[in-house]
Amino acid sequence: MKAIEIIGKGEEMHGRAYIPSGREEAGTIIKKLKENGFAHFVMLSCVDWIDKNEFELVYHMWSYEHKEHAMISVRLPRDNPSMFSMHELFPQIETYEREIHEMYGIDFEGNSRLTPFLLEGWHDTPPMRKDFDSKKFAEDVFDSIPEIKEEEDEGI
Amino acid sequence: MKEYELFIGPQHPGVTGNMMYHLWVDGDTVTKAECNVGYLHRGFEKLMESRNWMQNVPLVCRICVPEPDVNEMAYAMAVEQLMDWEIPERAKYIRVVILELARIAAYLMSIGSYAGSLGIYTLPQWALGDRDYFLDIFEQLTGARVYHIYIWPGGVRWDMPEKLPGLIEKTLSYTEKRLKLYDDVLFKNRIFFDRAVGIGKIPKGKAIEWGVTGPNLRACGYGYDIRKLEPYAVYDDMDFEVIKYPELGDFDVLSDGCDAYTRMIVRRLEIEQSISIVRQALEKMPEGEHIIKHPNWLKWKVPPGYAFKRVESSKGEYGYFVVSDGSNKPVRIHVRGPSYTHGVNVAETILKGANMADVSQILFSLDVCPPDIER
Repeated sequence: MKAIEIIGKGEEMHGRAYIPSGREEAGTIIKKLKENGFAHFVMLSCVDWIDKNEFELVYHMWSYEHKEHAMISVRLPRDNPSMFSMHELFPQIETYEREIHEMYGIDFEGNSRLTPFLLEGWHDTPPMRKDFDSKKFAEDVFDSIPEIKEEEDEGI
Repeated sequence: MKEYELFIGPQHPGVTGNMMYHLWVDGDTVTKAECNVGYLHRGFEKLMESRNWMQNVPLVCRICVPEPDVNEMAYAMAVEQLMDWEIPERAKYIRVVILELARIAAYLMSIGSYAGSLGIYTLPQWALGDRDYFLDIFEQLTGARVYHIYIWPGGVRWDMPEKLPGLIEKTLSYTEKRLKLYDDVLFKNRIFFDRAVGIGKIPKGKAIEWGVTGPNLRACGYGYDIRKLEPYAVYDDMDFEVIKYPELGDFDVLSDGCDAYTRMIVRRLEIEQSISIVRQALEKMPEGEHIIKHPNWLKWKVPPGYAFKRVESSKGEYGYFVVSDGSNKPVRIHVRGPSYTHGVNVAETILKGANMADVSQILFSLDVCPPDIER
């Protein structure tokens, strides 16, 4: 059975099912897909739509039985974003949630391991957010390195 | 016995690159393991959001050092899907050739390092030496040895030189001969049987749920290969069988799968599989164009939408999720690396209860590659 038929909504996008979901119903959708053959959790992506003031979480699932890919999309407001943790369904989601928590500042309720993953001692804006200015950060941090002035070449 | 903590890595020959594992050890048995990454984080995903679609090509290959071409392929396919481009037939065959050559080169590195973790130091020297012959081919084909920047959206960068198939065939026949020696030194060696059988077992029923992919999944008995499930380039035109436990050819089935032994035998057999695919692709390769005409790179805008493309690498499944809003830069590119699951959750779970001396061979048998965890 196709993912769109199982859930009863969504659209086909280049041969892959794209299913928009609300924050609360996402857990039920993912559980239902897992029970219906979508046993492989591919990855959890996050997109920052700063113009619309929202984050989009995309849960990618794959069914080895039906050879089908499903993308479950959940949109969250950018102010105090929070989502339910799904690590009990697939253990590796814990790592994706850790990274998204660190890089976008999204809180995942029920994940007890939201500890630093890639960054160390980071207290600035979460760096993958669109409003984090990497260029300014680099200038602030690295422009303090003194320039090396080459002595004039006097020749031989 | 008193419990103590042990840190292995990031500068340790027994760890698969610049990453660290924090182990809690009771005697010489590991009771808990935690993966610690961040030493290689280069922020490519953030950087790609501020560069145009063509400027990102030299970045993506750096996500996997031993096998960079899978990244170029997945990125190129995702962009081609958004652009709705059909690429020339010849380019597809050339792509298969370079992908499979890169796969062999990556397997040689992986087998060599694995043998090193068992203390068989002959094979790392041989395998890395033989890998260099493949790098010679890449140099002639692409101009670069490690990061090829060769598979571009729309085709491949250069056409294949006329005399290159001769060199490729020479290297492949040489590799076939060398594999017999590898078997004597590692794959049919008593040390390997005694050390690897039954070590680092992934529970078969949990393998898919844990996100195990690639050779590690096939060693658990699941015949899943993306080249067959979702054929890209011209893999549907290639004749090959998916190698999985318990069909191990000439090699003995010494365990019930899912362990370090089976994982390494699957990798060994897949080298021969790749050799056969390269020969088929060279034989069937048609004449014609190798790339389509690009728009002006600086003004090139990609239609809005979502694209997801995946490829089979020597380490498992690579996936690229590309989002465009119609401008000349991507909104988001998210990379799914196979080591993201193998190196963190899977390794942390299966290292529990392992002997300290086996930690290194378990990590090498999973073929964990930290650059694709951190991007």
